[in-house]
Amino acid sequence: MTNLVSRNIVRFFFLILFQVLILNHINLGGYTNPYIYVYFILLLPFATPRWLLLILAFIMGLSIDLFSNTPGLNAAATVLMAFFRPFVIRAVSNIPEEELGIQPSMRILGFKWFLSYATILVLIHNFALFYLEIFRFAEFFQTLLRVILSAVFTLGLILLSELMFYGRSKK
Amino acid sequence: MRNLYLFFRKHYFIFLFLLLEVVSLIFFFRHNKFQNAVMYDWTSAISGRVNNTYNSIAEYLYLRRTNFILGEENAKLHARMPQAIYLADTQIYIRNDTIMQSEYRFINAKVISNTTNRRNNYMMINKGIMHGIEPHMGIIAGDKIVGQVVSVSRHFSWIMSVLHKEVKISAKFLKNNQLVSVEWHGGDYQIGVVKEIPKHLIVSAGDSIITSGNSEIFPEGILVGTIKQVKEHQDENFNTATICFLTDFNGLGYIEVVLDMFKEEKTNLKASFQEL
Repeated sequence: MTNLVSRNIVRFFFLILFQVLILNHINLGGYTNPYIYVYFILLLPFATPRWLLLILAFIMGLSIDLFSNTPGLNAAATVLMAFFRPFVIRAVSNIPEEELGIQPSMRILGFKWFLSYATILVLIHNFALFYLEIFRFAEFFQTLLRVILSAVFTLGLILLSELMFYGRSKK
Repeated sequence: MRNLYLFFRKHYFIFLFLLLEVVSLIFFFRHNKFQNAVMYDWTSAISGRVNNTYNSIAEYLYLRRTNFILGEENAKLHARMPQAIYLADTQIYIRNDTIMQSEYRFINAKVISNTTNRRNNYMMINKGIMHGIEPHMGIIAGDKIVGQVVSVSRHFSWIMSVLHKEVKISAKFLKNNQLVSVEWHGGDYQIGVVKEIPKHLIVSAGDSIITSGNSEIFPEGILVGTIKQVKEHQDENFNTATICFLTDFNGLGYIEVVLDMFKEEKTNLKASFQEL
């Protein structure tokens, strides 16, 4: 239990630093970058109380905002994503709750489960983030391209790290 | 009362969600009014320090290019030295204080964080209130436009880059002084949009656009960019054009903050006119 909590705390700080110091400086296609920090929300244990889920998402988003001078932008998108997480978990899985394991992981739940779970949530997050940022429909398709590009790269990074820690995760 | 309590308890998830969203959105939409707020001061103290550390490491990687730019800048300044100018008429160098008062001063500062890939881009510089920087001051790099100060803390300032939804530069054509305005519509950070080009103007690719000096933010004659392609609109009063920015927004190192010495006088004059 303590192990699980401390692992999540370490992951929280690691992902913030990774996002702020490295990914925020990467330009993909000239005008977007991956948002790996949502991986933290994806990996929270199934047993996390729902209020804690929202609060953690809020803190995570605000921390990223602090470093990119967009107060509230990442927080709003991340809270929205965390709100949808319980519903998405229920929607994508035919697996009974007691067999879900401790936290979402590709090893236990399979590639297809994890991919659809992550894709839906990352898309929700990116949609909210990019459309809130421009807050107008004039550049609709251009923004859509940014959403998709960013989601593809974010998912790529998430799947890559899932594969890297494949052997380490225990049931 | 009890029912109300039970109702909230049952749906607390949705209420908490709505509460956090509303708080985030208030932060987001009030952001530009946050200038100088206390909260801003401590957040920028943290993020400023991290950005500073990052920058001091990253700076080593760009030393070669920085040297090159500084060298170029030096050469330009040397060319402006009195020794480098042929003295046709010595009278020009007599400085009479009442005639030649300097209108602008410049504070040198370093960019410690910067983005070009968002729709609204900001950068942070390593000087703040302590060094005399205030909101709404213009930012230039050499003779090229960069942005505008939006908020300041003791040691740092946030700059709204030209690559921002809210920025509209008052500019003009170098060749005939015709006023236009320049905006950025997202996407490629090197390409902007020139608006309000009068129909009768003959515009060709490569024409230079400079700041007009009408805005109290930038001095006149700061380079904005060159015209790339003109778009004629049959059913509107003005044409538009795309513009290649001359500023390398993604590679900014050292910049200058513009201090308008007469700003107070200008705003007072405007205010007194509005009172009439």
